[in-house]
Amino acid sequence: MKAVKFDYKRPATIDEACCLLAGDHNARILAGGQSLIPMLSMRLSRPSLLVDIAHIAELTQFIETDHHIEIGAMVRQAVAQVNPLVKTHIPLLAKALEYVGHLPTRARGTIGGSIAHADPSAEIALVAITLNAEITYQDGEDDVVFDASDFFIGPMLTLAPPSGCLVRTGFPKAPAICGTGFHEVAPRRSDYALASAAAQISASVDGRIEKIDVGVGSVGDFPERLKVDALLTSDLGDDTISQVLHAAMADIETVEDLHASAAYRKRVATELAIRAVRDALNEIKKGTRQ
Amino acid sequence: MAEKTYKFISQPRRAVEDRRFVAGRGKFVADLDRPGMLHVAPLASHYPAAIINKIDVTAALAMPGVVDVITGAEISAAIQPLINGLDTPNVRRFPLAVGRVRYAGEWVCAVVAESRAIAEDALEKIIVDAAAQPFVLDAEEALLSTSPPVHPEHGSNLLLDKKFVWGAVDDDFALAKHNLSFSVTWGRNSTVPIETFGVVAEWNGWDQILDIWASVQMPKYSDQISRCLGLAGNAVRVHYDIDVGGSYGVKRGIKHATLIGYIARKLGRPVRFIEDRLENMRAGDAHGPERKFDVTMAFEDDGTIRSMKMRALDNAGAYAGRAPFQLGKPIGAIVGPYQINSVSYHALSVTSNKTVQEAVRGFGQAPTNYAIETAMDRVANFLKMDRLVLRQHNLIRADQFPYLIPSGSTYDSGDYHTVIDKVLNAADYSALVATRDRLRTEGMMAGIGVAACLEPSGGNSSFEPLLNEANKTSTWMESCQVNVDALGNVIARIHTTSSGQGHDTLVSTVLGEVLQIDPDKIRVTRPNSLESLPGNSPVGSRMAIMLGGAAARAAEKLKLKIVAIAAHCLGFDADKLVYSGGDVLAPDGSKHSWLDAVELAHRQFHNLPEGMDPGLASFDIMQVPTGDALPVDGKVQMYPCYSFEFHLVLVAFDPVIGRPEIRSYTIGHDCGTVINPAIVSGMTYGGIAHGIGATLFEEFAYDANGQLMTQSFLDYLMPSSHEVPPIEIVKHCTPSPHTVFGQKGSGESGYLGAPAAISGAINDAVAALDIHFEKLPIRMSAISDAISNKLA
Repeated sequence: MKAVKFDYKRPATIDEACCLLAGDHNARILAGGQSLIPMLSMRLSRPSLLVDIAHIAELTQFIETDHHIEIGAMVRQAVAQVNPLVKTHIPLLAKALEYVGHLPTRARGTIGGSIAHADPSAEIALVAITLNAEITYQDGEDDVVFDASDFFIGPMLTLAPPSGCLVRTGFPKAPAICGTGFHEVAPRRSDYALASAAAQISASVDGRIEKIDVGVGSVGDFPERLKVDALLTSDLGDDTISQVLHAAMADIETVEDLHASAAYRKRVATELAIRAVRDALNEIKKGTRQ
Repeated sequence: MAEKTYKFISQPRRAVEDRRFVAGRGKFVADLDRPGMLHVAPLASHYPAAIINKIDVTAALAMPGVVDVITGAEISAAIQPLINGLDTPNVRRFPLAVGRVRYAGEWVCAVVAESRAIAEDALEKIIVDAAAQPFVLDAEEALLSTSPPVHPEHGSNLLLDKKFVWGAVDDDFALAKHNLSFSVTWGRNSTVPIETFGVVAEWNGWDQILDIWASVQMPKYSDQISRCLGLAGNAVRVHYDIDVGGSYGVKRGIKHATLIGYIARKLGRPVRFIEDRLENMRAGDAHGPERKFDVTMAFEDDGTIRSMKMRALDNAGAYAGRAPFQLGKPIGAIVGPYQINSVSYHALSVTSNKTVQEAVRGFGQAPTNYAIETAMDRVANFLKMDRLVLRQHNLIRADQFPYLIPSGSTYDSGDYHTVIDKVLNAADYSALVATRDRLRTEGMMAGIGVAACLEPSGGNSSFEPLLNEANKTSTWMESCQVNVDALGNVIARIHTTSSGQGHDTLVSTVLGEVLQIDPDKIRVTRPNSLESLPGNSPVGSRMAIMLGGAAARAAEKLKLKIVAIAAHCLGFDADKLVYSGGDVLAPDGSKHSWLDAVELAHRQFHNLPEGMDPGLASFDIMQVPTGDALPVDGKVQMYPCYSFEFHLVLVAFDPVIGRPEIRSYTIGHDCGTVINPAIVSGMTYGGIAHGIGATLFEEFAYDANGQLMTQSFLDYLMPSSHEVPPIEIVKHCTPSPHTVFGQKGSGESGYLGAPAAISGAINDAVAALDIHFEKLPIRMSAISDAISNKLA
């Protein structure tokens, strides 16, 4: 388990990083290293150049805009987890981050690294897809922006430009009256999930449900948003929720491996999605969210 | 029986080893850095079976920093095959594949280079021309004559096929009112230590000595290396003063040390090989038993078990190793803690194109306990009897010890009913049942599991002559030396490595107890193999019994000498004197102190009794108690001591998610007199954690193409601190009559019953749906799928 020989550069700016990436088509970005370093050691990844972006100050920022909280690519997951902007405006992400690895891995792992790595069971990617976050790359001198719902195209596969550097992810700010739910099942705590589900529901001041976003992860090639529009006009009773989510999950293709059957993934993802929706509704009902 | 009280033994004392480990000051093999050391990386086979036509190492050898590439052809011409305990001369094995590979991951050749990274680079330049061959993975399939033999020279995949009938099995079956048959399968798991196996070898040409530092737990290690390399036994020096970062059986390292020793001698430079995790998992040859049981029980309406028929089929992997013997150990406790009048046992071991199996914690006892306890649950369910009542009805009673079981072993002592009662009280059994029932009304699946089982300990490996008549070994000694230096300080020598068992603490506690001096002032050292007395390393839960026994006996000899010196000086007969706290007291109030004895023994020969040699030193080479005979008619006394454990578990899970949560875990443990309570509890906690892994998570699983799917901790899932619940240990002490302090073994505790109890709880939870999980590990997906199928 020794990596193939590679060069290592530590740029100070995004421009410099992009320059390095443009100059070597076999370069890879090193962020928190929680996935890449083991892959290097097992020689599953064999870059000629590692561009370590940990020292680019710009990439560690949180920026609040009118509609988004933009999280710099190099923000560590543990930092995001306790950030007040995240807690206030992206409650779903705050919930999901608790499930990402363990505290020591969150202390190193980054928000951007997780999105760029595109593991099908990644919680951050699931939240990004569920909320349709904006993913911004810098490629040369240009910014390229992706909707999270288009960005992921397969296991560890994205539309990211080959020489681009992920700069930030803009998560939409949650509406004033809003509930969230996040559930995940893994053999052991914080293992790669066998199924996960996220839900965010918002309501008007008079209690009318206005928007329901539900996504499931870990079941197929990448996290997916579920079609649950039928819920908006429904009674939101337990039976209805169950019916709509079963219907929404019907066409989702799930994978099988040593740890879980495809049927398990579908059954459990459906169940977790139901629970996530119920949790979100309960939060609205109880006004638990500040 | 009142428990004897001790000053140091059984007292809550800190393990003396802990300090250096907690501070990160252990000295492990990977910490060694010998001048000019070379590094090795083995090339792993991708094929589960193939004929090697040609290995082209030209490009690898041409790389800067590459020193040599060793192939199977080279090494097999230079050394003897690895020792094989069975009488299967055509199942030959060398450290590298010779002509044929037999499992995916097997070492095809080994690159020697100036660094491990260079060696790995060179691996990619080696071109192996190989022709894939048919392969077999499943043990039942391997048995079929149509299956490809893993060793064509051997003719079949059968390594061992032994049938034993102990007692009137046919009569008992004919008389019994009921029969019940079932099958269960124990999945392939292992102990998977944090530290992988590692070895450093260095050939000293001037002294003609091969030095070996290894992360090893292996009886007769230096003997085996010498034989394979064709060196005299006194030309191999294994250094025991190296810390071993975990083992529980698997750190055997014979092929590793033979290979690295060969390279060191050939090249005349120190050579190091530390397995990486991939190498450890797929080719460390450290997988545990993978065993299918077919069991039939004969019993009466009232629950009395009359007889048992058991067929145990074990998948040994590609070479013989010591795997087949793991079918032998359970013979020493084949009826568990129960009165079963007769037993037939059919032990089968086959080769397959999987990684080689080695000794793992319990040496095959845990799978057998799982089968026996499953049988008890099945019989209870069949009779609609309470599982506890059925067990209590069949348990050997305290007044029946010593108790001879049909297979020839006599259990030394025990009080199983009392231990169970203590556990039921401690866990508040009726409240536990109420909790289970409440959980069920709340929509959860909930179940209680129980397991009662034995830990045979301290044996003389008599399963070897039992399974292989050519083997006439009954000796299985352990040794200890004690020396009091000229300043009066005590030094003890032990002749093995330790892999976390706390042997320094064991020996200093025992010596302190016997000599009545502070154990913390005793120095325990580990000489190398050339300076050691014979021993058999810590296997089979033996060290409290055997090393503790040898230490106590050596100390008694020393004490005799001290008293003899005092008797001579004080002018009393020795039997009139009292040894007290290191001093010797006479009836007239006079005293001959510890330092007086030291002074005389070291400096005043003229004042010693006539004929007495100078110095204060002693040693003891102790044979296994009760280990005095070879098997006769398929029967033998296998172990001197039998520890008992009783597990009581509450498990609950959501029917859709299927993820078992252990809500309550209580274990009753009776291993006789405990030397160090913290060490024994630690063994038990760890054993239960390992049992949780074996039941729910851990498996070396292969895909249909013969590839190991669980090659790293990504897929080989071990329970973390999140998955191991708080565990209550209820202690009980029934001393063994065969040991110096009444101690029994405890190194395998917890693991021996946890899988039976936890799987029993899961099966109890789904019993209403008529679901039986018959294979370990029971994955959450399988639980949910089974429930879903039933409810569909």
